[in-house]
Amino acid sequence: MKILDIAFKDLTRSFRSAFAIGMMVIAPLMLTGLIYFAFGGMSGGDVSMTAVKVGVVNADKLPADSVLEAPIGDNIRSMFFDESVGSWITATDYADEASARSALDEQEIGVAVIIPQNFTERYLSGKQDVQVLIISDPTLSIGPAVVQDMVTMMVDGVAGGGIALQTIMERLDANGIQTDPAQIPSWIERYGNWYAEFQRNLFHHPDKAAYVVVAPAAGEMETADPIQKVMGLTMAGQMIFFAFFTGAYSMMSILREDEEGTLARLFTTPTDRTSILTGKFLAVFLTVILQGIVLMVAGHYAFGVNWGEFGAMGLALTGQVFAATGLGVLLIAFVKNSRQGGPVLGGGLTALGMLGGLFTANMPNAMPAAMNTIANFTPQGWVLKAWRLVMDGSAAGDLLIPFAVMVAMGVVMFVVGAAMFGKRFA
Amino acid sequence: MKAIEVKNLRKSFGDFAAVQDANFGADSGEVLSLLGPNGAGKSTTISMLSGLLAPTGGEASIMGHSVIKEPEAAKKSLGVVPQDIALYPDLSARENLVFWGKMYGLRGAALKQRVDEVLEIIGLADRQKDHVGKFSGGMKRRVNIGAALLHKPEVIIMDEPTVGIDPQSRRHILDNVKELNKQGMTVLYTTHYMEEAAELSDHIAIMDKGRVIAYGTHDELIQMVGEQTRIDITLNTEAEKVLALWQKAEGVSKIDALDGKVTALVDDSNRVLPRLFEAASRVDVRITSVDIQEPNLETVFLHLTGRALRD
Repeated sequence: MKILDIAFKDLTRSFRSAFAIGMMVIAPLMLTGLIYFAFGGMSGGDVSMTAVKVGVVNADKLPADSVLEAPIGDNIRSMFFDESVGSWITATDYADEASARSALDEQEIGVAVIIPQNFTERYLSGKQDVQVLIISDPTLSIGPAVVQDMVTMMVDGVAGGGIALQTIMERLDANGIQTDPAQIPSWIERYGNWYAEFQRNLFHHPDKAAYVVVAPAAGEMETADPIQKVMGLTMAGQMIFFAFFTGAYSMMSILREDEEGTLARLFTTPTDRTSILTGKFLAVFLTVILQGIVLMVAGHYAFGVNWGEFGAMGLALTGQVFAATGLGVLLIAFVKNSRQGGPVLGGGLTALGMLGGLFTANMPNAMPAAMNTIANFTPQGWVLKAWRLVMDGSAAGDLLIPFAVMVAMGVVMFVVGAAMFGKRFA
Repeated sequence: MKAIEVKNLRKSFGDFAAVQDANFGADSGEVLSLLGPNGAGKSTTISMLSGLLAPTGGEASIMGHSVIKEPEAAKKSLGVVPQDIALYPDLSARENLVFWGKMYGLRGAALKQRVDEVLEIIGLADRQKDHVGKFSGGMKRRVNIGAALLHKPEVIIMDEPTVGIDPQSRRHILDNVKELNKQGMTVLYTTHYMEEAAELSDHIAIMDKGRVIAYGTHDELIQMVGEQTRIDITLNTEAEKVLALWQKAEGVSKIDALDGKVTALVDDSNRVLPRLFEAASRVDVRITSVDIQEPNLETVFLHLTGRALRD
């Protein structure tokens, strides 16, 4: 009973501390919120985004001897008129550069894309003296950048296709296989169609933008909105990072009690030391659980995060609690006083969080392979691994190994830390 | 059975002997003061009695329960008021008392009733919902004492409870101690204020350098000094210039200088004072004030150690 009394007292103190609440709940939600709004809050669905007004001058003509069926300029132009970008790009044709510039001056359009007359011929011959010209309203930044990226990707894609076609023909020739020149336009057309679809998917369905090599696991969750998934991983990364902070910060209460004299006073009461330490450990455990639940509920309702299947989610959260509590107890066992605690926790947990991949949680392929290996040696890395599985729709059974590793790491760190505390306050 | 019994109690930290063969005791319902300067070993002694430190040797018991062999039973009979405020500043006075009551095993209606009683005793019933962190030093001290009274202990240890507080709060605390003692509680009170020890105590143990150098009632201790008188002298310069001369003066049995003030123990102040003035003038030291006092506990300490009791 006294164990619960001590834990309840610690919880009361924690939840009355503005700093603790800030670190436990407000900071992770705010950081995730910043990323959410950086994405325009798109995962919610109801987004009003001002359309980019693009004026297109397509003077490109197909060279007489070209195997292409249409000039590249037509592909570039059609990109801006594609229905898939209709909600955020409004395109208008202009006859020449002068009229497009005039429209830009009158602010009828924000960006003008000028495709010169002999662009296809010059581009395919490898000469870079003719370029697509992009003129924009100097007060705009995002719109022109998007338009430039779209043009660059399309032109690069065409160049890539040309190189691929050349390589294939050379390989066929080297193997004694004759190609029928009449088939080339059809190949190019098929490639062009695929590439246009690829570009479309890249913006709207990134998960379909490339060929899927590995078949999805049975029961894998369908993620309707990729941005929602990014938000989920971002939220998970923040939740894990601050869960470890909370574990260590809550454990620091034992140092504060030592400095405040209340720990010594507790030892003068008929309460055995094991109960006192257990009560304090229990408070840390409960605080990390409560923080996790609050953040998950808040993440779901504020950012639309789908935390996955209930059983798997429970395992990931439980493992996270074990790992965060264990590391908190171990770290604080090495700290002499609460003044020393701040830098140790700040430095140690941030470094471990980085090594564990928490700051690149929403970019799983951004880390070099070596860093992914290092992450396997950090509790944060395993917790993130577990949450990635949960958010990919894995069932509880798929989480058994990460769960076992998290619990084992947590228990080992807890036992070592608790033994050090036991010795220190014996 | 004595309420508090200490026999040959020792505590060493490495080579340093903080407490050496301490012996004293207190009967039920009496106030025993441990008097001594800072570093005398008072806090170490009560830390051993309250179970915070394990003794290196010897024995101590509270209400017949050995603090070494039966620590839980000894702690149930004991309430400890630490020297520094040991409360949770972000909890209210009532929440603090409820928590400490639970740590002494109180629950439910009994706990609620006792918390109400203690809030009345310490005079903070009207401020019970305020966070302790917002209290004045004196009010914190009162809650600090209240937390040790919740389980109605038979013995209460108070470690310098009046250090650094205003005279009004000090008076309140001393009155509290007397009231608790009147209710039958045995009090072990540590202090380096000899007037507090004199006012409160049935018995006094004087400690110095880890040893109990005297034990007895106030009158018994004063009698140790005999007919001697204490003289406090203030000089216009450092005492070193004249101290050696005064130590040799006839009729001076003990003399010590502290904080610009010289305290001397003399047989007959009427005869000795002219000699002290004469010696001072020889070395051009001017005496700016002289205070002749009847023997008190400070005189006893000077008599026993050759040093003044003040910090």
